[in-house]
Amino acid sequence: MIATGVKKGTAELAILSVLEAGPLHGYELSRRIEAQTKGSLSFSLAALYPMLYRMEQRRWIRGTWETSSNGRRRRCYRLTPQGKKKLQPLRAEWLELFSALRRLTKVSNA
Amino acid sequence: MHDWRLLVQQRLAGLLIEDGEAAQVVEELAGHLEENYQSLLRDGVAEEIAARRALERVNDWQDLKRKLESSRNKEAIVNKRVTQFWFPAFLTLALSMVLLAVIQIFGPDPWVDNPLQGGRLRMTPVAVVYVSWLIFLPLIGALGAYLSHRAGGRKLTVFSSIVFPVFPYMVFFAVGLPIAIMFDDRVSHNITIPAFFAGLAGWVIFPAAALLAGGLACSAFRFSVAKR
Repeated sequence: MIATGVKKGTAELAILSVLEAGPLHGYELSRRIEAQTKGSLSFSLAALYPMLYRMEQRRWIRGTWETSSNGRRRRCYRLTPQGKKKLQPLRAEWLELFSALRRLTKVSNA
Repeated sequence: MHDWRLLVQQRLAGLLIEDGEAAQVVEELAGHLEENYQSLLRDGVAEEIAARRALERVNDWQDLKRKLESSRNKEAIVNKRVTQFWFPAFLTLALSMVLLAVIQIFGPDPWVDNPLQGGRLRMTPVAVVYVSWLIFLPLIGALGAYLSHRAGGRKLTVFSSIVFPVFPYMVFFAVGLPIAIMFDDRVSHNITIPAFFAGLAGWVIFPAAALLAGGLACSAFRFSVAKR
């Protein structure tokens, strides 16, 4: 399992990356992140929604209420152009960090 | 059938964000729990276990509430700080200063009758003013604790509100006086170590103890009332 501090730092990247594929509501977003990371990253409600609201305030994502086919109202989040711009440097930063750690720990297949 | 909206509403009661936004947050979180619950039911999990597992997505509702408040509304946090700390703290500071001034102007005469000794016992004016002030400080500490508690302050916030009146003196003894001693010859030649500690005790330690006596008594009283 990944430590909490690292998870927090990677949460923004995870959310932006998953939303890059298309708009999603909170539950589906957390489910996809969990599935795509094979359970290494999982969000509690206290981690996910405050993060989404903060990212919305920064205008990286935009949430809009939509009504599904079964009549249920859901808030769907989509990436904004600013969010797309943010994603690239964020990816590069994390890639650089992982490469540096790999070199440091000499773990060839990390 | 679980009423997730009602459950979230109850657990997040008193959420300090705008009313319209609070309703949306409740709806969104309730929707999340509902979807999780329905998904577990579709996987064949029993209703009761599914509800429990859905709720496990929230480890600590108070933590969730705090995080939501800080992410949705900076102003609410500022208001909370003002009502929980700054208002009680500055009120206790102002009251203790005003009280000291009032006692100096209208307080007891420095000459106090002592019938036991059949005569008049001379007390220095400073002691008369100081002791009277110290006697009233627990009431001010209790007021600070009450206001901070009422606004939902945590233990540390309540404690800080109670002892805030001695903070300026503490800064003076911890920072101001040492700097003055270093840079001003007159101060360094005139101050003695016992006088320094007597001042520290008289203006920081004893008043803090008096304020805390009242403040902690008030906290204990509120705690016992809440427990009933």
